[in-house]
Amino acid sequence: MSTEQKLQTAEQLLAPWNKETIRPEENRLDVVIQPEALHEAASALHEAKWGYLSAITGMDMGVEAGQLEALYHFCNGPAITSLRVRLPRAGAVVPTIADIIPPATFFEREIKEMFGIKVDGLAVTDHLFLPEDWPPDVYPQRVDFTIEQAKAMEVSHADQMPEPGRVGENTFVVPIGPQHPALKEPGHFSFTVDGEIVTAAKMRLGYAHRGIEKATESRSWVENLYLFERVCGICSHTHAMAFSMGVEQLAKVEVPARAQAIRELVAGLERVHSHLLWLGVTAHEAGFDTLFMYSWRDRETVMNLLEQITGNRVNYSANVLGGVKCEIGDEQSKAIKEGLTYLETRIRHYLEVVTTDAMFLNRTRGIGTITAPEAERFGLLGPTARASGVARDVRIEAPYGAYVRYPVSLVTETNGDLEARCVVRLKELLVSCFAMRSILDNMPEGPLTARMPRKIPAGETVARVEAPRGELFYYIKSNGGEIPVRVHVRTPSLCNWVSVLEKAVGRQLADVPMLIAGMDPCFSCNDRVVTVEDSRTSENWSWKRLREYGIEYYSR
Amino acid sequence: MNTLTSIVTLLIFPAGITLILAGMFYEWIDRKLVARFQNRVGPRWFQPFADAVKLLAKEQIKPAIINPYLFFGLPIFALAGALTAALYVPLFGLAPPHSLTGDLVITIYLLSLPTMCIGLAGWNTTSRFSLIGATRTLTQLFAYEAPFLLALLGPALVAGSWQISEINGYAQNHWLILTQPIGFIVAVIGLMGKLELPPFDAPEAETEIIAGALTEYSGRGLMMFHLAKSAELVIGLTLVSSFYLGGLNGIGSFLIKTIILLFFMSILQSLLTRLRIDQTVGLWWRFGAILVLAQILVTILWKGFMP
Repeated sequence: MSTEQKLQTAEQLLAPWNKETIRPEENRLDVVIQPEALHEAASALHEAKWGYLSAITGMDMGVEAGQLEALYHFCNGPAITSLRVRLPRAGAVVPTIADIIPPATFFEREIKEMFGIKVDGLAVTDHLFLPEDWPPDVYPQRVDFTIEQAKAMEVSHADQMPEPGRVGENTFVVPIGPQHPALKEPGHFSFTVDGEIVTAAKMRLGYAHRGIEKATESRSWVENLYLFERVCGICSHTHAMAFSMGVEQLAKVEVPARAQAIRELVAGLERVHSHLLWLGVTAHEAGFDTLFMYSWRDRETVMNLLEQITGNRVNYSANVLGGVKCEIGDEQSKAIKEGLTYLETRIRHYLEVVTTDAMFLNRTRGIGTITAPEAERFGLLGPTARASGVARDVRIEAPYGAYVRYPVSLVTETNGDLEARCVVRLKELLVSCFAMRSILDNMPEGPLTARMPRKIPAGETVARVEAPRGELFYYIKSNGGEIPVRVHVRTPSLCNWVSVLEKAVGRQLADVPMLIAGMDPCFSCNDRVVTVEDSRTSENWSWKRLREYGIEYYSR
Repeated sequence: MNTLTSIVTLLIFPAGITLILAGMFYEWIDRKLVARFQNRVGPRWFQPFADAVKLLAKEQIKPAIINPYLFFGLPIFALAGALTAALYVPLFGLAPPHSLTGDLVITIYLLSLPTMCIGLAGWNTTSRFSLIGATRTLTQLFAYEAPFLLALLGPALVAGSWQISEINGYAQNHWLILTQPIGFIVAVIGLMGKLELPPFDAPEAETEIIAGALTEYSGRGLMMFHLAKSAELVIGLTLVSSFYLGGLNGIGSFLIKTIILLFFMSILQSLLTRLRIDQTVGLWWRFGAILVLAQILVTILWKGFMP
């Protein structure tokens, strides 16, 4: 079915509730509906199996307009249908759709906290991103939220113990995070355990939320490129690539073929670095440090290659709006090929280790199994979904940039357990290596950049990129000025959390770190207020005192 | 034996300071070997010593809701247990300072003292990581203790004595690793379980429960528990090598045999993935205990039929 046909099907499905149809771009359909009709419209798309809910974007149209908008984006291959709900600024309420589409919970909680769009029927009322003592009617992503309001928040802090330890005779709440050896980034999970068995799981994010989306609204398009690169340290290139792609679409600028090829090449190297890092972390969570050390040693090869090409190891800044800034010469090309040869042998070796090492299999085979229907229901993305046999890969479903010319093949597994997730990721690397070789062998000639206007024409667009962890979704809106009106980022980790929370229940506590690692979480991606406790003198300190000290210590 | 010599034996040589220093040395060998196997550089030779000095200098933080006597007393008991156990074993290949009939049983129980202290220490604090760690420590104790005891019982049966020095003497003429290979393997793996080395490090699995039972310990208390572990390592290596590897009759044979054994143990540590606590218990009772019982049965029958 072509994209056009898909959009027509969607339009027919949504006809009963359709108030206004907008076609912002060729592959997109915007249908304006009444808030009351949202639940029915979403379930019509969901029941017809028209794609999956990819993101919910909240938008503030300004104080004068007195309106908020919520956009429910459904993706089906390259076709995107957005349900646009217009709401009054005061008393905005939408019904929840999490009862039919579970991953919507996180998106709904985000628009509720950030934009003050009340979600009727949402089961969880705790804060996901904002501090617990955040005042009830201050919404940080509304346009009239000022920096003065944010500063006032810094002096106020909740005074409470994390949560009660013992809840029953043999039942405890085990907190994992925000600071915990299993997590390399701050996030908080509380697992209720009965002996060793987990009976309930809860999650809290926002410890590293810096308000990047808000920050973009006061920076120029070029400055924002560098800001988005810093959303995530592991997949910095894909973030910058998604943002550039979106801005280029808005400006209707064609990126030179050579620049696109280099973008895919760097994305491929980034995938190798990200997946090897993940393999190490997973091995460490399982208590197999030897594999951890070896996989990170081999990861250095790809880090050195990235450094050689771009000059940086982490935030490579390979992209500029309209192209790339780094050239791949003969010397680099040779170095990359040599590096790939070494990496391919190592990846094959690791593939053998994760499928044959009996002790490691003890901890991965049959653990956290997600069946294909469950993966669909949870709305999983990326390798986590592909390990369950769900063919979801933006590079293949909706090829972008150089992926049209240098396609990659789809890798899926059927078991859906941790072993399958290891296998999928490693096989995917072999596929990536193959694609990178074909790019190096057939590199198109030409310039590296196209000229970009300083002011980006008014309009809105969606850019989707397959990051190492799954589909990365960017929604960009411009009003024709030098700065964007709204950029919404939905990272893949946010969609994959549901799998951890659902699958941890009934498992042993020992499997929990593996389950968390299994979806390759990236907290900094999700967050965009850190409180640290520190004690240095010998006294009896209450929790309150400890908190105050810490706050004082770090504000110095 | 007068009081002065007793004090010297207990506090300076061969137990006490000498044992602690030897423990640090063996800990360094273990860490260095594992590091090399894992493609790392590993610590310098004085690192365990530096760690101990640093911990001594650090403040010991006392949690609010604990029993202070237990909190401060347990590390001392743990270290004392390990140091006392050294009095009955042929440490450094020398004759044990004390020897009596049945000292094998005493030694094994003294060696369990540090583990039990760690379990109690975890139970004493209200930290949830400590509680889970303590439960796992004690669960693991029940898993490996009986097979480990049975594995040391094999040599005792053939030597016809419960006295460590006599078994050591018997073993010098009989390499029991050849006649009781299963017992040897169970003893080595049991020792790894006792020391909570990987793959039996579930009680202190950092990615789940921080440092397990010792999460709330810092400074001196933590150091004493660590030293008790190091001392246990040396004593355990001495026991297993004197029983199975042809006995110990001098400093040379002690160093060679224990270091070979440690080398073997560090290979296992770097090759194996951590077992979950249920897998640990399953492994010991489904395989370890049954195999070693079969071994003992064979030994008894052999003793009975061969005059």
